Amino acid sequence: MLLRAAVAVIIVLAAAAVAFWYLTIPRPLDAAQLSQYGPGDAKRGERTFWLAGCSSCHARPKAAGEAQLQLAGGLELKTQFGIFVVPNISPDKKDGIGNWTLADFANALKRGIAPDGSHLYPAFPYASYSRMKPEDISDLFAFLKTLPPVAGKAPPDKIGFPFNIRRGIGLWQLLYLTDKPYVHLPQNASAQAKAGQYLVEGPGHCGECHTPRTFLGGMKRDEWLAGAPNPDGKGAIPNITPGKGGIGGWSEKDIAYFLESGFMPDFDSVGGAMVDVQENIAKLPASDRDAIAAYLKAIPPLPSAYTDKR
Amino acid sequence: MKKFAAAFAVLALSVGIAHAADDPIAIRKDLMEANGAAAAVSAGLLKGEIPYNPVVAKEAIMALRAVSHAFGSFFPAGSDKGNTKASPKIWQDMAGFQATLAKFQKDTDAAAQASGKKGPADLAAFKAAITPVLGNCAACHRDYRLK
Repeated sequence: MLLRAAVAVIIVLAAAAVAFWYLTIPRPLDAAQLSQYGPGDAKRGERTFWLAGCSSCHARPKAAGEAQLQLAGGLELKTQFGIFVVPNISPDKKDGIGNWTLADFANALKRGIAPDGSHLYPAFPYASYSRMKPEDISDLFAFLKTLPPVAGKAPPDKIGFPFNIRRGIGLWQLLYLTDKPYVHLPQNASAQAKAGQYLVEGPGHCGECHTPRTFLGGMKRDEWLAGAPNPDGKGAIPNITPGKGGIGGWSEKDIAYFLESGFMPDFDSVGGAMVDVQENIAKLPASDRDAIAAYLKAIPPLPSAYTDKR
Repeated sequence: MKKFAAAFAVLALSVGIAHAADDPIAIRKDLMEANGAAAAVSAGLLKGEIPYNPVVAKEAIMALRAVSHAFGSFFPAGSDKGNTKASPKIWQDMAGFQATLAKFQKDTDAAAQASGKKGPADLAAFKAAITPVLGNCAACHRDYRLK
């Protein structure tokens, strides 16, 4: 009897292990998908670089000016799952991504997979980048190749059990990794708002901070951009929908001017981690800021999902 | 009656001041609102929404300068608690905070210097003077203000 129970337990565990193994298999882009990635244009890629905010995390902490183009990594992202240390993505062959192919790069951004097939932590915002157009990824890769190689690996992550088992991220990806839009814009939404949807939901990855997360760390689709606790600690990331506590009182012009200058309609200024983001977006063509503004006026108005209690 | 009103006004004023001196957070907010108003005037001039006027431009510069020199005096120990968006980093790194403020003061002093007695002569001169000053808002709020 005892033996039978033990056998049953072993069978259940083995089935669970097989299921886990199967569900967490890395799912890279297939050949047909990869064929959409042509040679990139570094000049165009620079726009994507600032839009995607690569340097805000991958440059050394507090880098300014030319140093923003040295993607040595090293910034610590403190989260409830542990401390992620941002890696070196400079074109250094030994310590950076100098040996990556375009396919490697596309799989990292679209599927959250490293060249060795292991899963990347979603602290790298591929749950947004998965929406990026192949040509933007090709261009970005070409631009990154033009940057200075920097020697030196960033220190390893400090992640405890069970989150240190990278394979488990495959389950997270099953739940949260998709290239579908986060919100459905109204049928009559302007072309500008649709262009903004791509910028905000894809490369701009605005939702990664402005949308609250589930206990598993996935973005809550039904509270899209409605504000969230500050991942850096105290304070709140504001609601940027037109709903209560959000920015419904701002005109499209106000939003575009904020992204360009850092000044809000009441002439309070940008602060915190948004300073880097705003400075990046200020480098884009005005049409991009106008598109982002049009999108933010078109999304569903939601009350603030998180209010700072202090 | 007039005397009484005057005395009452003085009393009200002194009570007001006494209250404010006890409340550095309230003063900080007033100073930042003055900054915000001066930034609004500056942006209005830069965007051409307010017709350029050297006197108005100088007023904005001088308000920012006055705040830059006064602001740092209102962060006594303990004033991190209460209805404030000031980041705890101010008190953890007071030297860094004061250095950031010193940069703000240096830029407002330079702008005041450049604007002369009558204010910056034209919009280009004002733009050159005010642009470095306005950069200080975000530079300081990046690390020292919660949002």
